[in-house]
Amino acid sequence: MSLRINFEVINKIEALGSKGMEKCYNCGNCIGICPMELDILPRKIFRYALLGIHNKIVEEKEMIFSCLLCKRCEESCPSDVPIAENIRILRYYINREEFKI
Amino acid sequence: MKTKIGVYICQCGGNISDYVDVEKVREAVKNEPGVALAKHMMFTCADSSQKEMIDDIKENNLDALVVASCSPKLHLYTFRNVAERAGINQYNYIQVNLREQCSWAHTDKPKDATLKGIGLVRAGIAKVRLSEALEKITISSYNVVTIIGAGVSGMRAAIELADMGTDVYLIEKDHFVGGRPTQMEELFQSKQTGKEITERLFTEIKKREKIKLFTGAELESLTGNIGNFHAKVKIKPRYIIPGYDKKKLKEAIEKCTDEVTDEFNFGLIKRKTIYKNYDKALPDIPVIDKDSFNPDDEFLETYKDCIDLNQKEKILNLKSGAILLCTGFDLYEPNKGEYGYENFENVITLHQLKRIIELNDNEKLIYNSKEIKRIVFIYCVGSRQTKGENKYCSRFCCTAAIHSSIIIKKEYKDIRCCHIYRDMRTYGKQEILYNEARDQKDMFFKFNEEEPPIIEKEGDNIIVKIKDVLLEGQEIELIPDLVVLVTGMIPRKDTPALANIVKAPIGLDKFFNEVHPKLRPVETVIDGVFIAGSCQGPKNITESINSSLAASAKIHSIISSGEIKLEPIIATINKDTCEWCGKCIEVCDYDAITKTEYNGKSIATVNIALCKGGGMCLPVCPVDAIEITGYSNSEIESMIDAINKEIKIESTEEVTPVDESEHKMKEMPEIWNKILESLKQEQKSISQIAEDTNLSSPVITYHIMTMVKYGYINPTEMDEMDEFYFYELKK
Repeated sequence: MSLRINFEVINKIEALGSKGMEKCYNCGNCIGICPMELDILPRKIFRYALLGIHNKIVEEKEMIFSCLLCKRCEESCPSDVPIAENIRILRYYINREEFKI
Repeated sequence: MKTKIGVYICQCGGNISDYVDVEKVREAVKNEPGVALAKHMMFTCADSSQKEMIDDIKENNLDALVVASCSPKLHLYTFRNVAERAGINQYNYIQVNLREQCSWAHTDKPKDATLKGIGLVRAGIAKVRLSEALEKITISSYNVVTIIGAGVSGMRAAIELADMGTDVYLIEKDHFVGGRPTQMEELFQSKQTGKEITERLFTEIKKREKIKLFTGAELESLTGNIGNFHAKVKIKPRYIIPGYDKKKLKEAIEKCTDEVTDEFNFGLIKRKTIYKNYDKALPDIPVIDKDSFNPDDEFLETYKDCIDLNQKEKILNLKSGAILLCTGFDLYEPNKGEYGYENFENVITLHQLKRIIELNDNEKLIYNSKEIKRIVFIYCVGSRQTKGENKYCSRFCCTAAIHSSIIIKKEYKDIRCCHIYRDMRTYGKQEILYNEARDQKDMFFKFNEEEPPIIEKEGDNIIVKIKDVLLEGQEIELIPDLVVLVTGMIPRKDTPALANIVKAPIGLDKFFNEVHPKLRPVETVIDGVFIAGSCQGPKNITESINSSLAASAKIHSIISSGEIKLEPIIATINKDTCEWCGKCIEVCDYDAITKTEYNGKSIATVNIALCKGGGMCLPVCPVDAIEITGYSNSEIESMIDAINKEIKIESTEEVTPVDESEHKMKEMPEIWNKILESLKQEQKSISQIAEDTNLSSPVITYHIMTMVKYGYINPTEMDEMDEFYFYELKK
């Protein structure tokens, strides 16, 4: 099943102030160091966010809300992606778009 | 016949003397006929050794020199120089290759290496005995260059050569100068457009009287050789009368109704048949496209002071000392259906996009009367085809595509660009462009060559399907308004025809070929014919100008003095024996042989400037009328005799190597036998062998690696845990 890029979703997430997600080059340092052992965060979820694939973002809401925002991953990120801030923005996005809060 | 020959044998600090017993060689050759002095030295190329040789030569009045050392590629000129400084003609010096062709090749058989070395040195001595003193051939040269192609490379080279005092004929096939960059608009990094750069170069050219520019000019034929080329150039008429009334012609252009496809704009629009490539095209004189120009008589009568359709082609004969090819490149034209090209109207190439941006005067980017909001760039179209024809990377296209996306974003804020690339090659300073594109929220997708993006039509839309590497091959769909194929450089269509005229070789990639890609990048094997810019291979403008300046300096250093010195080792023809059969002319790679008359018969004659002493003509001559200077039959025969001569060495013991431990390495050490013994029954792992032989496993590992390299044993399979290999004897 192929995923279709949705530019509206992309624009919405960008309007919320996401930044630096595109700098991720998929090294996986963040996953290795995560105290919650969240193995989809953040590299794959950021890719979905960059491509505006709403369903996939919502599918991973458990993960997104399990994050402690401890920023250990941010410290070890070689590409200086503001991971915690972007996770927060994705929570905001899910709350608004999916839970209509 | 030389009677006082000095022979010097080099030890090369052990490189030679470890395997070849240089003392035995010296003993064996010191009594050869003609040898007055034989020595061996630690390094013959060292300054002190060179000085010693010069002193020896002067003191003993030596008349010839043999140095047995390394390859002549390395030190031929060093020792020719020594000979000159000592007062011997440099062609009375022979270099014997005792290192690459003897000691290094026979490290396993030192005794035989010594025997071979003696033979080689004797052959060198035999040849030098018969050698003649030769002088370089001097021919006169015009201090003039013909540059073919007035693009950025050609123009820059012309300016440089003129400033150095060389006259330049600059020939451009098109009616306007500048070449491809004029179609490219704003360029990275200078922020100038290609047109501005062209204008700047053209203004500089106009300031210099030494440069004669011919537009609409094509090279018809080229004869002669370095220093003295005769180029026949055909000049196409513009059909505009010189000194025309500008206002009146402008009026004529407005009235002209004939329109044809505009090739300068890649067929995106039509142009009139009285035209300039673009508004400020240089030289600032319009051209009439006569084939499609159909004016009525009234039109011709009204503008008869400006337009003259009876102008004829002119032929010019230009004499020059060197030729510089700066003919540039063509852009790859995708095949019909390649990524939907020509099947879907919103699939275009990068150079078309550049023209669309330039021609668009709306606030929004409009193509096919539709607003463009999303653009997809597909990279490496027509480049890096492992299965196709163009295997090379075109170098400029990644940068050009990314740069275009940045320009588009600056101009039209709402457009989003997506890049579907194989590898992003914004090398060097262009890397900042990639970061800039990423920061402006461009999207990047990497694909593998085996799984290229697929372009399909869904209703009115085009769908691009990509297997996204960052999502582990998950298929992603994208709906763009415009698909831009980032096409690369290909050799110009007319390259083979031009290569045929100038005899310059074409490489496997069909671009012009240099002599040596690193060390002689702007010369061709044809003396006096040089290449610069992208006719040699894909280059960006910076790199093209680099090569054209290099070519200018190289050309100037050769032809500016008015005379050229050439190697005297060439073919000579015995006029009395030659009976003209024409066989030599067929095999000569350099077209150096011509037919002339002598004493009432036809004979072959060698053009001394073209002949390279290749020797192809020699064996095909049925009457043995050809000889190569320095390689005469008598010289070669004497060398063969010298090699065949019996060699007597008093002791048959092994030669004394310098380092004992190193010597042990040359034989199969005891450990090897132990390992072979241990592997006789069954395959074993390194730790098992170590146990068998009572040696530590690092030692065993080291020897195993060497034995595998020399083909004694083979690795077979890994153990169940995939941790180590088993080894067995090679069958």
